[in-house]
Amino acid sequence: MPVHKAGPRLYRSLPFKHLAKGVGSVGGRSSNVAMNLTPFVDMMTILVTFLLMVFSTSGELLKAQKGLELPSADRKETLQIAPIITVTKTDLSFQGNQVASLDSLLKDENPQMKIEALYLRLDAVGKKIKEDIAVGKDKRAKKACDDAKAGLIDPLNLCPDGLVILQADEDTDARVITMVVTTAKYANFDNLLFAVKKK
Amino acid sequence: MGGSIEVGDKKSFNVELNIVPFIDLMSCLTAFLLVTAVWSNIAQITIQPKGKARSNEPPPDVIKPVISVLIQPDVIYVGVTSLAIDPVVSKKTNGEYDWALVTNALVALRKEEAFDGRKDIEIAAESTTQNPVKYKDIIRTMDIASANGFDGVGLSEPTSLSWRPTL
Repeated sequence: MPVHKAGPRLYRSLPFKHLAKGVGSVGGRSSNVAMNLTPFVDMMTILVTFLLMVFSTSGELLKAQKGLELPSADRKETLQIAPIITVTKTDLSFQGNQVASLDSLLKDENPQMKIEALYLRLDAVGKKIKEDIAVGKDKRAKKACDDAKAGLIDPLNLCPDGLVILQADEDTDARVITMVVTTAKYANFDNLLFAVKKK
Repeated sequence: MGGSIEVGDKKSFNVELNIVPFIDLMSCLTAFLLVTAVWSNIAQITIQPKGKARSNEPPPDVIKPVISVLIQPDVIYVGVTSLAIDPVVSKKTNGEYDWALVTNALVALRKEEAFDGRKDIEIAAESTTQNPVKYKDIIRTMDIASANGFDGVGLSEPTSLSWRPTL
């Protein structure tokens, strides 16, 4: 194999030279093509404006799930971060882990209206949240809790102690909702945030 | 991108504006905003659980009138304790409750002196396997209540309501 002089040779074997000669130009002279960028810039500006308008810093708290269609309401308050109880058409889950099926809940004759499996999980999470607040892990949460004790309640920054989100399918039987709410109360979760779609 | 600027002596000259950095910035911003966009528009309704689990609480010193809303599969009752106010009955027609009647009832109660500055309201749903009450109807009732200033919604089981309809 012959030894060649060092230098650029990438794509040299490809016959692109005829393109470089200037297709469309007269007499082999190069020509400048002015691309009209105005519509592109217009589109970008509109797109950026729209995206900035819908931008939300609160992030996506709730995940879309199969068998879960949230009910609509006129409320405008943004959902806060808290442990999430999910009720789909078939299951009850807490923090993404299944707790019970709705059929089993509705079959049970439970005069206390308490879901034991959910209670145990809520109780464990509640204790951990209390400890975190006492240690001062989250200063914003600690301030919200101190303010709440002093009677200053900010609806947009509620104390995470005793706060839980319920996202349930709009066709869920009211008995399941009552059971969940009662269980939350047994586990000392005094504030329930019902996740709803804004109309 | 080019532009023409006229100067005082009526001569004009062309200016080439470099819009490449602008397009770069726009592209980066668009990509970032598209990735971080949250399309689902979710709000919250805050409630306080009431009823059985609160049975260990001491009774209040002064008994105040309480607004109770009972949602049954075919009808919604809006009643008040300790006051001579007739309950409002909103029946279901064509598969939908008469929400205007519920709204009017709460608007009227809002004007009552006994509820001046009060935000609390009790809501319960009486559901059965044959005739279930749907969660969306509870939410609709809560939404109407909070729209009329009754933000302190307490959700309880039907037997724990302060006021219940009598047959």
